[in-house]
This record gives sequence, structure tokens and C-alpha cells, in this order.
Amino acid sequence: MKNRLIQAYQQAPWRVQLQWIGLFLIFVVLISAITGIYLSVNSQAAAAGREIQSLESKISTMNDEIAELTADLAEARSAEIYAARAEELGFELLDPAEAVYLAVPGYDPDQALVFTSSRIDPIAEAPIVRSSYRSSLWDWFVENIWQVSGSTADSSGEALP
Amino acid sequence: MKPSYFPRYVIVMLVCGIFGIAIVIQMIRINFSDTAQDLIDKSSDYQGVEEVIYPSRGLIYDRSGNILATNQIAYELGIDLKFVDDPESIAFAAASLFEDLDYEDIFELANTDLKEDENLYFVLASYVSEEKIAELEQLETTYAERRADNGSLTPSLEGLVWTPMQQRTYPEETLASNILGFYNYFSRETAQGVYGVEEEYNSLLTGKPEKVFMANDPYLVEAYPDIDPGASLVLTIDREIQAMVEETLADAIDWSGAEGGTIIVSDPETGEILGMASTPTFDANEYWEYEETFPNPTPYNRAIGTTYEPGSVFKVITMAAALDSGVADLETTYNDATGVYWVDDSWPIYNWDGGAWGEQDMTGCMQHSLNVCLAYIACDLLEEDLFYEYIQAFGFGKSTGIDLAGEANFPLRLPEDNDWVSVDLATNSFGQGIAVTPIQMVAAVSAVANEGKIMLPHVVRSVVSDDQQYNISPQVVSSPISAETAETLTQMLTVALQEEASSALVDGYSVAGKTGTAEIPTELGYTSTTTNTSFVGWGPSDDPKFVVYIWLEEPSISKWGSVVAAPVFHDIVEKLVVLMKIPPDDIRLELNEDLSEP
Repeated sequence: MKNRLIQAYQQAPWRVQLQWIGLFLIFVVLISAITGIYLSVNSQAAAAGREIQSLESKISTMNDEIAELTADLAEARSAEIYAARAEELGFELLDPAEAVYLAVPGYDPDQALVFTSSRIDPIAEAPIVRSSYRSSLWDWFVENIWQVSGSTADSSGEALP
Repeated sequence: MKPSYFPRYVIVMLVCGIFGIAIVIQMIRINFSDTAQDLIDKSSDYQGVEEVIYPSRGLIYDRSGNILATNQIAYELGIDLKFVDDPESIAFAAASLFEDLDYEDIFELANTDLKEDENLYFVLASYVSEEKIAELEQLETTYAERRADNGSLTPSLEGLVWTPMQQRTYPEETLASNILGFYNYFSRETAQGVYGVEEEYNSLLTGKPEKVFMANDPYLVEAYPDIDPGASLVLTIDREIQAMVEETLADAIDWSGAEGGTIIVSDPETGEILGMASTPTFDANEYWEYEETFPNPTPYNRAIGTTYEPGSVFKVITMAAALDSGVADLETTYNDATGVYWVDDSWPIYNWDGGAWGEQDMTGCMQHSLNVCLAYIACDLLEEDLFYEYIQAFGFGKSTGIDLAGEANFPLRLPEDNDWVSVDLATNSFGQGIAVTPIQMVAAVSAVANEGKIMLPHVVRSVVSDDQQYNISPQVVSSPISAETAETLTQMLTVALQEEASSALVDGYSVAGKTGTAEIPTELGYTSTTTNTSFVGWGPSDDPKFVVYIWLEEPSISKWGSVVAAPVFHDIVEKLVVLMKIPPDDIRLELNEDLSEP
């Protein structure tokens, strides 16, 4: 009786094999997925690394170009070249006796130079990681919903100036 | 009963297990083998290298923003052994293009066995010009075409690499080179500013080099740290004034046959140096010619680096002391009956012409530059304590503190010193027996042109660093005389120039000034027939905006300051007032009245 019951509820061998095969395939798929993700992330990291190298190289090249252009500009604006150009254009040195002076209230001919900031922090201004990689699912959801609702509201409202 | 397929599972499992265990054992064996460390070292070589990043050296501007010193691109030429295919071609190319590179040496470097030498990169030359690199690129293209034609691997310059680097350049060439100094950049590790602003502000201009790991492995790459360039400097120098002063000095030396000279133009209200010319001058872009241009002991900048006996221009200081202390005033007179003044009945002091000028008031003493009168003032009126007290208050005997490297100073000989003798008091009063630098004279005389206050002479107006601009405020060093004394002396010297009909006078402008002719001491005493000629002047007299100091060393056309240096002052001021936009006195007073009206 007992044997009969076991036999009654025992699955067919091909079913057991299928289950094992299924389990194995699930395992293989999982491993493949993990490997795939790992490879994908790694390749992205490598690409980002190369991009950093490329951008650093560009920064260096651009700094060198800026230096070269600054030197060229300084040379083109040197006193000697200015004087030669002025002479070519027909200018002559001013005779002090011919100088005309005008009083200009508030004008200071000798104001101190002000050097404004022209340097841009490349890291702060141009992050290597795109914003889409830095935002959470919630951020993405809120942002997109907001955009959709915003565009809907705009379209129904008055034209913006 | 076990299923029939069980043994096959066991066999597969065993094979896989043994294979896995073998892999693990092999991994452990490799990690603990003798060659493991070599492999690790080799892998680290390929991971990247640690390099020093040098920030760009700061720029130097004149007061209007014109660039006086900047950086341009040059290249570092080196051999990267990893990529070398053809050492012969590399050695040939480098040796044929660069005179100081030797074929044998380069060949030996390019042929270095990588296994024996850990250094993978050799520097062949630094600061190679773009033109040379263009020639190398042309040669590389030619070799590539030849390889394509022959289907061979040689000739090839693979492994000969050039990387850009920044090189100091002075676009104005010789202009203001005595102020700027130079940057000896050939060795990056030991490069530093030499003389002038480049040396004085070297650490600010250089910035902070940083060691950075340059990874080859993309997984190790990180953004380089943001290295700020060196601080930039804005000078007080006005390029147009500097060019004018240098040109005038060159003309004056040519005309007078002087051995050398210096001219300083400063703003007495702030202590700012507007122009400073000195001979000799040279192009700092070719700084390696320094020793040829400045053979020892030629100073790099006479204005700050040479002491000399100034002669009668020093009488301004003696007279300032007399007026300020109250021992003399405009009405005080001196009777020069004999043309000689005896010190301790032992040492006679004579006038410049050996003559007697009769009774003179203080203006007359200055107008005729009477040595006996000034000796009388110093010895009989001021006496040694008061005289030297004033001399020291005017800053003589110590450096001015100007922000230029290489300032000289000759210690002041005082009565308490063993080598001081009583005649020194008399000779010092008219600028003999005392050694000063031109910049000391400018700083001292500026007190007379600036209501009695000496301002710290300086050439840097602002420092620009980390996106911040630090403006340097004028600093009062001392107030040796009162504003009233300064005004009185200025009026006295204005009148003295006018009555003398000096060649220093400028039409339309009132200026005060004093000539100087100094005998030059030798080892045997004052035996030289040549002199140092000087002139110091300032104006406009009622509101001084400039002080001009001229020193021409040993002129050949005349030995008198009134003949040699005074006309140079005229030439300078005539152009200076235009460049500084100072109208003639009548127009200026009229314009001031217009502006003051409500």
C-alpha cells in the first residue's frame, strides 16, 4: 500500500529531468545575466576611464593652445610692433604743444586693472557621469512627470514672453 | 538502487573538480613563485607612471594689462623604449636635427635592453622649438612613405616622442628686462627666476607642482587634480613710459659718451615705479647670453644694484634736514667770502668751480650748488647728531625694500664708527664720501615731493591668484620731514631752477630739481678726472605727480650734471607729461577750477 502511494505521487523521470534542466538553465541564465551586467559595467568604466584620459588630454592641449595664442597676441601687441603699425598707418608722435586737454568729471585715467575670473573648473562644470546615471528612479519619475505636466500646463496657458 | 546514469555524473564531476583544483593550485603556485614579483613589477609598469605636473608660470603685465612675460609652447623630445623599432633611424634623425645631441649616445639609449633597464623613457632635449618638431614630423612622413614603398619596417621613428610643454617668453624682448629679470627654464627641476620680479616673486609665479599618477589601465584612471597656474603679477610699470625712458637713456648715453646710466620715474604719492631703465639691457628670451652681456661685476640693474657717491643731488637731503630742524630758513644767509670752508682747520672744502660766491641765501646756495655753504650747514648748524639722524630717517644706510631681487646697500658710516672722520660730515653734506643706490635717492627725494612722507618703492601693483586679485596698497615708510618743509624746499628748488635758467626746465610746467656732479673715488682717492652726473627733479611743483632720477656714469662730453643730466630730465619730462596726461600748469589750474565749481 505504501509503495503504491509513493508510486502514485512520484513524478515521471522525464519530468524530474526537465525540472533539473530547468533549474540548471535558470542558474545559467542568472550567471549569464550577472556576467553580462558585470561586463557591461566594466566596459562602461573602461570607456569612462578612456574618456577621462581623452578629456584630460584635450584640457592639456587647450591650455597649451591658450598659452600659445596668448604669446602670439602679446607679440602682436608689443610696443615695437604697435609703433611700427602706427607709423605705417601714418600716425605721428604727438607734439606736446599741440595736446588738447579736456576736463572729464569722474574720469580716472589710471584706474587699477581688474582681472575677472576666466578659469572654469572642468570637474564642476562638466561632470563625466551623465545626470541620467546619477538620478534615482524616483528622480527620473518626478522629473519626467513634472515635464509632462509642465508642458501640458504651458500649452494650455498664455504664451511665455 | 542508484540510477544507471549516476557513474557518468560522478565522472564529469570529478573531471571538473580536478580541473578546478588544478587551476587553484596553479594560481597559488604562480603567486608564490620566484618570478611572481617580476610579473607584478612588470604589470605595475604598464598600469601607469607617476609624473610631476608643473603649473603654468604666472604672467606678468604692465599697469595697463600689456603682457610683459608669458608662456609659449615648446616640446620635450624623448625616447619611449616600448615602441622603438629602429634605433639607427632615431639616432640619425635626432643627431642631425640637434647639434648638441650625439649619434652614438642616442643610439645607445634607443638600443637599451628593456629587460635590464626599468626606465622606459629617456629625455633627449627640453624646450625644443615648434620648427624643429615640424622638421621631425616631415621626416616621419618621409620614412612612412619609404616604408610603404619598400614594404619594410624600417626606417622608422617609432619610439621617438615629443610632448608639449610651456616655455617662458618675453614678447617685448629687451623692454623692461632689467626689471623683469629672467627665468632659466632649461632644467625643469631646477628652473627658477633670476633677478628682478622673476626672482623676487618666484614662488608665487611658479605655483605648486603636483605628483600625479598617469594610469594606462582605464580602470585606474581618475581625473587629474585641478592644478592652479602660478599667480600673475600686474606691475606698476607703464609700458609706454618704460619704452620712452629706455629710448631716452640710450640716446643720452650715445650723445654724452657715458659708460652707463640709469633713469627712474616714480609716483611720489604711492611709491610706484612707473619706469626704470638701466644699462646694459638684453633680451631675456636668450637668457643664456647673460654672462656675455653682464660681464662680472656689471650689475643687472644699476638702479637698485649699484651704490655710488651721488654728489650734489644729495644737497636736497641736507637742505631738507636744515629747514625741517629749524636751523635754517629761506632768509638764512651764508657769506662765501673765500670760496673755502675749513673742517677742524685741517681739511679745506671748495666749491665746484673753486670760486667764492659772496653772500647767499639758502636758495642761492642750492641754485649755485655751493659745497662750502652745505658743509657749513652740516658742520655748524645741524652738527653731526642731527645730520645723521635725518640721513637715517631718509632711509640711507639700509635697503629701501623695493620688491626687486638684487638690491644693494652700502652701510652708512656714522660718527661712532672707527673709520669715520670729521671731514666726512662736511663731504657727506654734498654727497661725497657716502654711497647710495639710485632707488635710495628716489625714495628719499620722494619725501620732498610727497608732503614729507616716504612711500615704499614697489613695482608690483596687484597679484592675481586663484581667481582673486590682491591689490597692493601704498605704504608709508617714514616721514622724515614735515609737509611744510617739503613745500618750502620744493618752492626753493623750483625758483633755483628757474633763476639758473636750467636746461632741465620744461615749457609750461613748473618743476623742482637739483643737478649732481660727483667725483669718483679710486683706491688712491679722488684722482679720477671723470665724474658721475645726476639730476633729480619732480613736478608739477604745486602738486607733484612724478619724480625723475637720472644718473649718467662717466660721460665724455662734459663732466657737469647741469650739462649732461639736466637736458635728459627735460627730454624725459616733456614726453612724460603727455603720457601721464598732465596738462601744462595754466590749463591744469583752469581745469581744476572748472571741476571744483558746483
